Amino acid sequence: MGTRPPTLREKRRYLLVCIEPAGTIIDQKDLYYAVSEATTSLWGDVAAAVITAAVVAWDGQYAIIRCRRGTEQDLSIALSTVATCCDIPIALRMVAASGTIESLREKLRKIKTPPQELSSPRECMFDKKMFQTCQCNGQKIDVIEKGFKNTNRLFLIREDLEEL
Amino acid sequence: MKITDACVFPYPFGDSSVGRMALEAKSLGFDRLVADGTQSGEYYGIEILSGILVRDTSVRDLVNRVKRERNKDAVVSVQAGNNGFNRSVITMKGVHILRGLHSADKYAFDHVAAKMAADNRVAIDLDLSPIIAGRGFARQRAMHRYRDIMVLERRYEFPLTISSHARSILEMRTVREITGLCSVVGMDISDVEKAFVGVDTVTTPSPPAVKVI
Repeated sequence: MGTRPPTLREKRRYLLVCIEPAGTIIDQKDLYYAVSEATTSLWGDVAAAVITAAVVAWDGQYAIIRCRRGTEQDLSIALSTVATCCDIPIALRMVAASGTIESLREKLRKIKTPPQELSSPRECMFDKKMFQTCQCNGQKIDVIEKGFKNTNRLFLIREDLEEL
Repeated sequence: MKITDACVFPYPFGDSSVGRMALEAKSLGFDRLVADGTQSGEYYGIEILSGILVRDTSVRDLVNRVKRERNKDAVVSVQAGNNGFNRSVITMKGVHILRGLHSADKYAFDHVAAKMAADNRVAIDLDLSPIIAGRGFARQRAMHRYRDIMVLERRYEFPLTISSHARSILEMRTVREITGLCSVVGMDISDVEKAFVGVDTVTTPSPPAVKVI
């Protein structure tokens, strides 16, 4: 099928979403499957076919998701039901919606602040247990318990940590 | 008007500290959280209300527990059971919120209980976690129950609250997302706004029916 003239193309909308927690490594295809599953399970196959969600751009922390114009509200509701991706707990926070990818990229350049990556994981104490910091951004600090048994991530603030 | 998430579970019940949840709630557009198992306080301008959730208990134990908690500055909520239990809970002084109707039996909350909830100013909680994380039958059942509750709410006008039941910051949702999710169960924006301030309605003492001059 050749490219249609602009007047015959279907109108699209693009949503900029932030993937939380920061530093989560997710494949673009897995994210697409998670979005597709959420859309289909909430709205059904018929509506999902109308929405035609697709992950068109992705840079690790932010993704641009495409849908048909007029269905962005339905897609954003479906995105709020995405709780896991490949059994990794995540949250998709919608940042902006636009008619062009370029304007979202422009917005992304303005809002994107690189997380203050720790040069080396620092040890800290919380609730009388030893933890290792894995992500740090302003007051927010994510830690993982030391050892090999419990690798769950805890979401804390700097004030929660006890001085060593 | 303080936009309130009526139930979150910070550490140790969940994986996020109460401070982090408050910080997240601020960025999500909330003004207040009801946090189970924590002290009341304020973090980053977000008011934290202490919440007490009573579940899996008989009416007699519940009466004692509520009596003990009545004078504390906490939001007391009770997990719903069968119809008789729910009616007893609603008429009990000191109970603010009845939760978990999505998982209670089909006849757990009827028009009589709805009338009693309106008279006693006990809020019915809409837990959004089965809609967010649930799939298939569990989510369909929750949606059906909430639609049924909304029918009764429009008739009897009992207070409603909305909660995310988040155990992690990843389970918390923005005010706009919650409004969208509530639209799935037939709530319009005015219903959602009213439900966001439902905690205020049930925690402020009701004006006396007769005023002595």
